[in-house]
Amino acid sequence: MITRLHGAVCIDGIGKSVIRDLVLNGESICSTLPNDSRADAEYRLDNHIVVSGGIDIHTHIGGGKVNIARLLLPEMVEHRRSHSERSVNEESNWIAPLSSPVPGTWETGRRYLEMGYTACFEPAVLPANARHAHAEMADTPWLDTGGYLLLGNDRLLLEWIRDGVPQQQINDYVGWMLRAHQCCAVKVVNAGGIDAFKFNQRHLNVDDQHLHFGITPRQILRSLSHAVESLGLAHPLHVHCSNLGLAGNIAATMATIDSVEGRRLHLTHAQFHCYAADGPHGYSSAAKLLADRVNSDPSLSIDVGQVQFGQTVTLSGDTMHQFANRNLARPRKAIFQDLECQAGCGVLPFRYRQDQYVHGLLWTIGIELFLRVEDPLRVFLTTDHPNGAPFTSYPHIIRLLMDYDFRMSVFSRLHPDVQKSSPLPSLKREYSLEEIIKMTRLGPAKALGLKNRGSLIDGCLADVVVYERSENPEQMFSRPHMVFRRGELVYRDGLFLNNAMKSTVIANVQVDSQMDDLLNRIWRSRYGYSTEMIVVHTDELRSKNRTVEW
Amino acid sequence: MICPFCSLLCDADNLKEIQCDLRTASLVQLESLRSIKAGLQRLGKQVDTEFAERIAEATESLRAAKRILITGRIASVATARAAVTFAAKYNATIDCAESGHGFKNILAIQRSGLNSVSLAESRDHSDFFIVVVDDSMLAACPRMPAALSGGKLIPQTVLLLGDFSIATAELWKKAGFDTWSVPCDLRTVPSSLAQWSRCSVQSLSNRSSEMHPTKQLFERMAQAEYTTVVWSAENLKFDQADLWVERMLQWIAGRNETTRCAALPWSSLDGTFQQVCTWLTGFPGRVKFRDGVPQYDPHGQSYEQWIARTPVGMSPESFVVIPESVVVLIDETASSTPFLNPESMQALGQCNVIELTGNSKRFPTAVAGVEVTADIFRADQTLLARVSPTRKLVPSVKSAAEWLEGLSQ
Repeated sequence: MITRLHGAVCIDGIGKSVIRDLVLNGESICSTLPNDSRADAEYRLDNHIVVSGGIDIHTHIGGGKVNIARLLLPEMVEHRRSHSERSVNEESNWIAPLSSPVPGTWETGRRYLEMGYTACFEPAVLPANARHAHAEMADTPWLDTGGYLLLGNDRLLLEWIRDGVPQQQINDYVGWMLRAHQCCAVKVVNAGGIDAFKFNQRHLNVDDQHLHFGITPRQILRSLSHAVESLGLAHPLHVHCSNLGLAGNIAATMATIDSVEGRRLHLTHAQFHCYAADGPHGYSSAAKLLADRVNSDPSLSIDVGQVQFGQTVTLSGDTMHQFANRNLARPRKAIFQDLECQAGCGVLPFRYRQDQYVHGLLWTIGIELFLRVEDPLRVFLTTDHPNGAPFTSYPHIIRLLMDYDFRMSVFSRLHPDVQKSSPLPSLKREYSLEEIIKMTRLGPAKALGLKNRGSLIDGCLADVVVYERSENPEQMFSRPHMVFRRGELVYRDGLFLNNAMKSTVIANVQVDSQMDDLLNRIWRSRYGYSTEMIVVHTDELRSKNRTVEW
Repeated sequence: MICPFCSLLCDADNLKEIQCDLRTASLVQLESLRSIKAGLQRLGKQVDTEFAERIAEATESLRAAKRILITGRIASVATARAAVTFAAKYNATIDCAESGHGFKNILAIQRSGLNSVSLAESRDHSDFFIVVVDDSMLAACPRMPAALSGGKLIPQTVLLLGDFSIATAELWKKAGFDTWSVPCDLRTVPSSLAQWSRCSVQSLSNRSSEMHPTKQLFERMAQAEYTTVVWSAENLKFDQADLWVERMLQWIAGRNETTRCAALPWSSLDGTFQQVCTWLTGFPGRVKFRDGVPQYDPHGQSYEQWIARTPVGMSPESFVVIPESVVVLIDETASSTPFLNPESMQALGQCNVIELTGNSKRFPTAVAGVEVTADIFRADQTLLARVSPTRKLVPSVKSAAEWLEGLSQ
């Protein structure tokens, strides 16, 4: 199948944004028709832009905690509104809300495609839940997926660091775990803190000692970042810092950056780790400090975890801090789990209110980070779905970034103390279309090492989205005109036409076979079962409409 | 591996080698299933050749139906997926048989939340177990004591609460636990635990409560650094057991203000169905699809309620044939006990029943994890493992998932 898109402005953040033809030849993009061939389908797309499929680098779409959140909150499910019921005049509602903070997989896949996203990455795959996470993501239609393996609180690793085993052994362990659980990157959540909470330790800063193991988060971060570098993983260590949400936690975030000793690092939902302890309520923005650090250090990247106002549910492996926030749950119920000597999870329903000082501050800090980090290839659009907001708020956030006046119209409704103390009005930057495309396509692709995605150059995967140009970017990014997956038209003007071949992205790592025996012995004695039971084989990720991508 | 009979963990490569009454009984049952399937083959009625014909016939009755229920024992991810897809296509009600047990926990969690721990974490880390037990719990999960025992140098302590025999207590001792027993009525456990929490060691001796711990046990409880509280909802055979669970969860939550404590609520094989149904629809089971949209009603959409609403079930005299009601019954376990009570079966007698079980001659199915490879959640709903059969007993027999996929085409 050859498709020619004609007359649209092609934007990918690499070449110039100009009107040109784009040819989808089978699963790949090419700029011209192959010799002696003609297009099977041609589309005239004046007044449209063509971009590659969106990539969400950090969104909770699969695994135990996501399902637990669904189980906890059935009362939050509202009947879906159909397209015809959707009012385009309703402010900030170009795209219909999700039926619940964490909808089922069918809705998740459909709604991502409806915005022009084609690949999403689950950032916290508990090893013991890896098969579950993959199974759930397999049931999320249209999206290519991948998972980041949750390490840094696995008791075996902590013991090895305490015992001072050679770094090579830890490298081999990380490689084995990645391969066994078919993940593409390594994620650390509150290094050592989740395990410390199991020992009733309620706080753990970067240089505090885990009461049982006597090691510090700094040691864990250093060791894991070393392993990630040695294994040659495309994505750097993906870190949820210590002290989530606490006033003054910028110090821990800076210490976390220092702990990896110059190695590459990705700080996730950075907005939640970017607070000083000044201001009228002892809580203020430290976005400038972090942004300056990112601007000056090319080894750093962040995703923001932007907050939006309304009801959501927070879910995190960071049991320590989720438990600390238990009294903030709305409605007043929460789930906390200690899991498999590997990590844990906390699920807490939460409502962000624009008239509440701290909540308003979080909103401004996220926007500040977007505006202060200069390189859109190193700051990525996320809401840490569903923690900050549902992923369907992306078009609204894009408008906030592209339109100063619109941004200020929302800002003017925040708590008066936020308006007095925030530097946001002085930040006049407005993102260009090219910068938005870099932030949502090319940047995440580069950060994850996805060489065949994120742009429109020859040979790239033909995941292509066509948007009708509009003065209102929220409207434009809320509903594409067309979405192609691997060259096939799967969505057009609100209609879902075809399913798509999906792929699971995994890391290509070499595994030390001696690790098999060692870990099997440990697994049997500690967990009571063999590693054979939990190892996910590559074949399990393949089916007639699903493949694997290294 | 995960045992497909009790959803617990077994280290042995061959399930037959493990001495376990439940497993032995199940394997006897399996032998009879095998003979039925082998008999079908001998008659030359290969399922494969008749597959399309049987599917077409069943599909016709499904299309004509106005009310459809899909229920039964669903043990694997593949079958759970296929069952939900089927329910969505036919706007059916879906509820796992025996879900009443699991919903005691689910309803309580949906009201109050949960502090829980997984099996391996508990085995490795917990120093004190409170197990609410009766003899039937270990009959259903005979390897539970061994699975929870970490084989530590310092023995873990278990406090058994409930109505149980000496033999049950001995099983825990044999597994290496320092075992304390306080026989009591299961219903009083939450209030007794709450009462104990309010006591001091000094006041203990003055109390006249029938069910009180010794001073030594009380001290050990107070000193515990990580307490795991185990119960199986299946054993809570009294009214409003979800309220019992809720009070337990509240007691556990209260303890976490100062120390660590977590629940390990044991579920049966329907945990796999609940997980898959939740990720596909956004809800645990007991869902009715309308226009393809799932609607959750944990009270009104149970299979029992569906059957009760079947007009023919009102009284034996008023039975009339309701051809537009179709029930799809699935059993992909090797359990020998029927999952519907006789009254329910009688009520369903007038419905068109599509039976996807090992006993069915029209739609004979393989057993997940025994005859076909299956992904199954462990009983604590944490670990999804791949259970591969040691050998395929009847190669041509299709899985329940394959039949359902055929019906959903």
